[in-house]
Parts: sequence; C-alpha cells; structure tokens
Amino acid sequence: MDEIIDQWQEQMQEEKGELFFQYMSSEVVDKTSRQFAELMTSNLLESETINEEKLTDFAEKVVRFSWSIKFVNKAIDRFGQIAFNILIEEKVIHTSEIKAYMDIYFEWINPLRDSIVEAYSIEWERTVNLQKIALQELSASLIPVFEKISVMPLVGTIDTERAKLIMENLLEGVVKQRSEVVLLDITGVPVVDTMVAHHIIQAADAVRLIGAKCMLVGIRPEIAQTIVTLGIDLNDFTTTSTLQRGMQEALKLTNRKIVEGESL
Amino acid sequence: MNMRIPILKLGETLIVSIQWELDDQTAIQFQEDLLNKMHATTARGVLIDLTPIDFIDSFIAKVLGDVINMSRLMGAKVVITGIQPAVAITLIELGIRLENVMTALDLENGLDKLHKELED
Repeated sequence: MDEIIDQWQEQMQEEKGELFFQYMSSEVVDKTSRQFAELMTSNLLESETINEEKLTDFAEKVVRFSWSIKFVNKAIDRFGQIAFNILIEEKVIHTSEIKAYMDIYFEWINPLRDSIVEAYSIEWERTVNLQKIALQELSASLIPVFEKISVMPLVGTIDTERAKLIMENLLEGVVKQRSEVVLLDITGVPVVDTMVAHHIIQAADAVRLIGAKCMLVGIRPEIAQTIVTLGIDLNDFTTTSTLQRGMQEALKLTNRKIVEGESL
Repeated sequence: MNMRIPILKLGETLIVSIQWELDDQTAIQFQEDLLNKMHATTARGVLIDLTPIDFIDSFIAKVLGDVINMSRLMGAKVVITGIQPAVAITLIELGIRLENVMTALDLENGLDKLHKELED
C-alpha cells in the first residue's frame, strides 16, 4: 500500500509541483497527501461503507487549501491508475478479471469524486451567497441622521435589480424610521442615464406616496449636464449639489435649523 | 355579504380606515358612500388610511385615484396615510402617481397635515 502512496505522491508532485506544492511546506503536503491516500485506501478497505465523516472532513480541507477542483480530480484519477498498474504488476488481478476490477474501482472512486465535487460546489455557493448578502448590505442602507431626516448614500452603478433593492430599502426604512425627509445622495453614482434617472424618479414618487419627501442631493456638474442634455425632467423634486445644502433644506422643511452654540 | 366601509366624521374631516383588501364591488360602493357623505356633511377634508392594506390591484388603485379626484372636485382636501412600501411600489409600477395628493406616514401625521392645510 505504501508503494502506491509513494508513487502517487511522486507523480502528483511532477504533475503540479510548481503550481501547488511550492506554496506549502513539504510537511503539510506530505501530511495531506498521506491523508488523501489513507482516505482512498480506507474507502477501499472498508469497502461497502464509505467513511462519510472523514470524507467530508478531507473535502473541506482540500477546499480550504484552495486546490483547484481539476487538480484534486486528477489526483483521484492518478491514484486509481497507479493502484491499477501496481495490482497488474503484482499479478493480483489478471486480464480476465478486468471487468470485475473495473466495477469495484468505479464503486470505490465515484462516491469519492462526488463528495469532493459537492464540497466544492457547496463552498462556491456559500461564497457567492455571502458576497450577495454583503453587496445587498452595502448597496443601500438608509441612515437616520436627525429625527425625521434620513440619508441614503448611493455608491456605484445602479442597475434595474439594484434600483429595486434601493426602492425597497428606502421605503421600508422610511416607514421604520418614521422619516419625513429622505436625502438620496448620488455623489457616488458614476453615471446617471435615463434609466437611472427613471429609477430615481420612481423611488422618489414611491416615497411621496408613503408620506415622506424625497430630495436628490450630490448632483455633480457633469451629472447636471447629462440630466439636462438627456432632457430628464427632475423639476418635481428638490435637488441640491451637496449633501450639506440638502441637509439645510431638509431641516428647513421640518422647521428646524442649526444654531451655533456659544463656546464653553 | 357585501361589507361597507365605515366613514367616520370628526369635526370637518371624514376619516376612512380601509381594513381589508377591497373587492371591486365594495370599492365602487365606497366611492358612492364617500361622495354622498361629503355632500351630506359638507366636510372639507378627507383622510383615507391604508395601513392594513398590503396588496392593491390596478382596479382598486384606479378607484382610489378617482375617489381622490372626485373629492377634490367637491372641494375637499384629501390625505392618504399609511401606504405600505409594497403598495407604493405597486402603484408606481402601475403608473399611478397620485400626483397632488397629500400623503402621510400615519393617521396622526395625516391629521396634522390636513388641519394645517385647512387652516390656510
């Protein structure tokens, strides 16, 4: 059995030596390969019952090392090949029994491959989901600034899906925070085209429907130019160039103003 | 059974709280009832509260828009309160913008706004 492991290790090192093994200490490599081989053989020895726990454990470990799935797949293939070769050399199996051997071989190798692939796809799905959540959290949060005044800073390109999210968060936030004025800050939006403007107008309308007022702030000179050139009508709502001025307007709307306190 | 929507009078205001999803028949009935009541009481303000409603279809939305316009024709100011986010999105997507209609977050704010408007 050790012979198989050694041969396999050698081959695998040749195969991808430069790419993968150099990043890790040979100790780790040795340990992992041995673990892998053990896993392979233990599967074989215990035959029918696959050691699920060990398998998932290993699969997760491999994923953590961020070995490519191709590499792991190849490793499994190689292992089987070597085992096969050695068995033939040692005359454990004869050509006549190849069919039977192949059956055993597939039964042995396939669940292993399956679980590795599954571990990878689970990991990928998780990563994608995490990123999606992170993006959602990042993309539109309504921040209560003063009582009755909230700000939603928008950063990055707005597409239809994001616009929908913005609208939902905006409305939910307004209801939850009981804001009367909402400032939509588009300082961080690189391009405002007709579609983006349309989404913003829709959001502002919806905000008006639920009983608050929406202001558009952070309009940069180039944005102002595009808006007018495209003939987008934003006359229905208050717009200001900076968040600061927007805030002053908002305070005025809620009958408040900032008074400079006397220094202590 | 045909349920009618109660219309309450408070000072110069009529208060309507819509508590359940309207069907077409009830909506039409409501439209008539409200206009009749306005005529009978010479109320100057109407407040329609939609807080419990979280679903609205195009017909109801249209009726609502009509009621608002009709009320305005009869010389009353209309405030709509408590439109839920989902309803707001539906209305916008249906292209019903309810322009020139006052809106407020809840009944309290709505009454404040209406009183202010009536004082002017």
